[in-house]
Amino acid sequence: MGLKNPAEQAVILLRSRLCNPNFIFTLFSDSPDSNYSKLKYIISSSVTESCNNSVLLLGPRGCGKLAVLELVLEDLLREFPDMISVIKLNGLLHSDDNCALKEIARQLCLEHQLAFSKMASSDENSQFLIAMLRECGLAHKTVLFVLDEFDLFAQGKQRLLYSLLDAMQSVTSQAVVIGVSCRLDADQLLEKRVRSRFSHRKLLFLPPSREDLQRLLEHALLLPSGSDLPHEFVANFNSKLLNIFADKKFKDIMDTVFNTDSTFKQVLTFLFSALCHLDLKRGFLSVENFKDALSNIQRQPKLECLKDCSILELYILVCMKRLEVREHETCNFNSIMKEYKSIHDSFQTTDYYARDVCRRAFEHLLRRELISFLDNRGHGHSIEFRPVKLLISWQELYQGLKSYGSCPAILYKLVERETTT
Amino acid sequence: MSSEESPQITRRTTRLSAANSENAVDSSKSCALKPLSVNDLLYGNSPISLEELISSFPGRRGQIIELMSLLGPVNSPMFPTFVHGGSSTGKTSIVLNIFRHLRRPFVYASCITCYSPRILFESILNQLMLHRKSDSNGYSSIKRCDKPSDFVNLLREALSGVIGTLQGNAEKAGSKKAARWPNGKMVYLIFDSLNLVKEWEKSSTILPFLFNLYDILRMPEVGLIFISNNSLDTYYADTGFVEPFPFHFPDYSEDDLRQILLKHQVNKNLYSSFLDVVLRPFCRITRRVNELSTALLPLFKKYCEPLGDLGAVPNEDMKRKLYGHLQRHIAPSLNETFRVSAGLTSGASRSKDNKRKGIVKKLEACTSSYELDFHMSTSAKFLLISAFLASRNPATLDASLFDSTGGSDNRKRKRKSSAKSLEQKETTEQELLMKGPGTFPLERLLAIFQCLTSVAEYSPDAEYSSDVEGQGNRATMGDSGYIGSHVLLQLSSLCNANFITKGGSCPLEGSTRYRSNVSEDLVLKVARSVKFPLSKYLYRR
Repeated sequence: MGLKNPAEQAVILLRSRLCNPNFIFTLFSDSPDSNYSKLKYIISSSVTESCNNSVLLLGPRGCGKLAVLELVLEDLLREFPDMISVIKLNGLLHSDDNCALKEIARQLCLEHQLAFSKMASSDENSQFLIAMLRECGLAHKTVLFVLDEFDLFAQGKQRLLYSLLDAMQSVTSQAVVIGVSCRLDADQLLEKRVRSRFSHRKLLFLPPSREDLQRLLEHALLLPSGSDLPHEFVANFNSKLLNIFADKKFKDIMDTVFNTDSTFKQVLTFLFSALCHLDLKRGFLSVENFKDALSNIQRQPKLECLKDCSILELYILVCMKRLEVREHETCNFNSIMKEYKSIHDSFQTTDYYARDVCRRAFEHLLRRELISFLDNRGHGHSIEFRPVKLLISWQELYQGLKSYGSCPAILYKLVERETTT
Repeated sequence: MSSEESPQITRRTTRLSAANSENAVDSSKSCALKPLSVNDLLYGNSPISLEELISSFPGRRGQIIELMSLLGPVNSPMFPTFVHGGSSTGKTSIVLNIFRHLRRPFVYASCITCYSPRILFESILNQLMLHRKSDSNGYSSIKRCDKPSDFVNLLREALSGVIGTLQGNAEKAGSKKAARWPNGKMVYLIFDSLNLVKEWEKSSTILPFLFNLYDILRMPEVGLIFISNNSLDTYYADTGFVEPFPFHFPDYSEDDLRQILLKHQVNKNLYSSFLDVVLRPFCRITRRVNELSTALLPLFKKYCEPLGDLGAVPNEDMKRKLYGHLQRHIAPSLNETFRVSAGLTSGASRSKDNKRKGIVKKLEACTSSYELDFHMSTSAKFLLISAFLASRNPATLDASLFDSTGGSDNRKRKRKSSAKSLEQKETTEQELLMKGPGTFPLERLLAIFQCLTSVAEYSPDAEYSSDVEGQGNRATMGDSGYIGSHVLLQLSSLCNANFITKGGSCPLEGSTRYRSNVSEDLVLKVARSVKFPLSKYLYRR
């Protein structure tokens, strides 16, 4: 290993921290009424008392549900080494029942060193599952089923959920079903018979508070003293960072981040972006890095799209806007061309192009998704007759025109006039 | 060899199997391709330096440096990145060349060539498991995989294999061969043209799956990069997905476009004076590099016409002269920016070309050409005209228009226009604009076709005298009651060419309805070429 720049090493260390959810959430696992301890209590009590249980973890995306669950599972596997086996399913992959049964069988075989046959039918897989549950129950081993994207399992006939929860009703089995979902009403999606077998325990995960955010910043970004980086570099880095945290401009930036979207994922993306802007030659973070990161996460995609348009495309958008203002219910390419011609006739613009050219510009706009067809059924019609609608609002169009730079003045006048009348 | 053996073969052999038996001998002699290794996960044969990278992409310095900082130093984990920008802004080539400069191994899959989930998954697995499709394994993938659950399991295996090899390489870093090896222990997956996935059948599960792939895999040695034409907000999902880190490639500014277009020119000064004149007006229509370069090509040829020596460096005087020569061509050529030339190449058509140029020079004001620039058979032309008439005219008029007198004279029916009828005319015009051409059943089309061909006084020109098809059609058209199957074949080829679209069938009648898609200009050109009086049959409201 060659002698690396200590700044580079520090960046690698910090990046691996930010990309590792386990590290981030160990911070929030100490207080007694945190979700971590509650979840740990639920699962460990069902393991020790040999009973069945089910729980739902709900919360918006990026709030750490799966990360906290992973931490709990890690700790439990350490505490009760041979008494737990974990089966992980994901709604995106295994919402089809046959797939799910096959995956359960595969994971069970993997864990208990049995040979797994890919050719087994779903009947055989489900029988295998029931048999394994019985055996594990007799051996006082708890099987934990983790169902990620739980709401996707609740689509269709919910056969898998029913068979799992039903298998848990027997005396000999010891299983815990943990569902994770971002839909807060995930339990309302269950059928009556499934819901009756489900214990309505729910744990709600919320975005962090402002104080938690501050603790997170320090936990994530301060370099540890025990690493193999040179001591004075670490001390310098940390002291500079603490100065930044105390800076008023930085506090404003953090307030903006907190007010727009305070989920963990967004904050981590913000910190990641700031790290990317770190100047490796200087070696330390600065407030400018955080400012650049803020502008990175505060994107306005439609505005960027408008800036990429050519002037002809802007004309077409303005024509559509005028037609909309005049309350034509639907417009299509032909009516837009009529409006375009009337603008040219009344204002004698220099930008009057042939129909083919305008049609191509129209197709570019469709591709950029600034406009779209009203319905997908009209495939029989040619592109000139299908009704289209605008996907941007007047304010966005106006802002886009203002920030365009070389926009012809006639377009401002046209858009402005429509709002005053 | 086979000619001697053929009398001995008792069963019939097809030409294909005979050819194969010959090739079987050759294939064993063909050189076997080298098995793939981890070193093949790199891009390009030779590494390039940062200056070369930046100079080969003018105007993209900021994006290149920022993208490289997102990727980070060697062996640093990264969040999944979503690169988006308009067409031909250089996203794919910049990403690939950055990887060439950094010499890091990656796996590339484009959703244009991998047009279904199965092909996408298998392509990635083939690359990771270093499998090459060849004759020996019957051009099959290493594993059959069409479900995301199988894909995740196989991907984990494949990735751990590759990462293991890379780690082994890293330990032997001191050896001489290390210079050709990839850098680092991380593998990157690049998904290109992701916006096409939105049109797949299972896109509502595949898209969230791809975006969540990083969290599902939980392997920090894997980096994901998505490249797309549209920004993230156009990807709709019910319950959302884990959002990757967005990175935008803006379209090129005019200065950047000038640098790009100048890059590969032989005489940069001449071309730069050309661009001074043309670039700004063309940029008002489009700023895409691919469209601009094709549109400017013929114009540059015209610009250079008065120059004797193409390598000359123009001074102010010459520039003004050249501009004067070019000026009147700029406006018409702007209106033809997106035109794809028909590209007739045969010798016989070159005379047609000259003739056409004569006509065009006469009608210099009109921008479109006067004649059809592609070939259609005569019956196809009549079929197209019939379809247009069927779409334009209401069905109730057919009896009067196509009676035995060969079409009535519309002029007899013209009424004096009062204010109310003018208003009516306007609303019907508006309706025509919005609704578009009407549909018609097949029987009506064939009836009109029969009428037109029986009435038509078509005699082929001298040009077509050598056209055998023209003579054959003349024969069928003289015979008024006969419609051969070739007409139905012509109909299906017109449908394939999108001149006529086949609509859904009416549930009451049970027959399919058709709709004509062509503009009036094209039909006028077609009618002119067969000397058909279209205006007599067109219903004017």
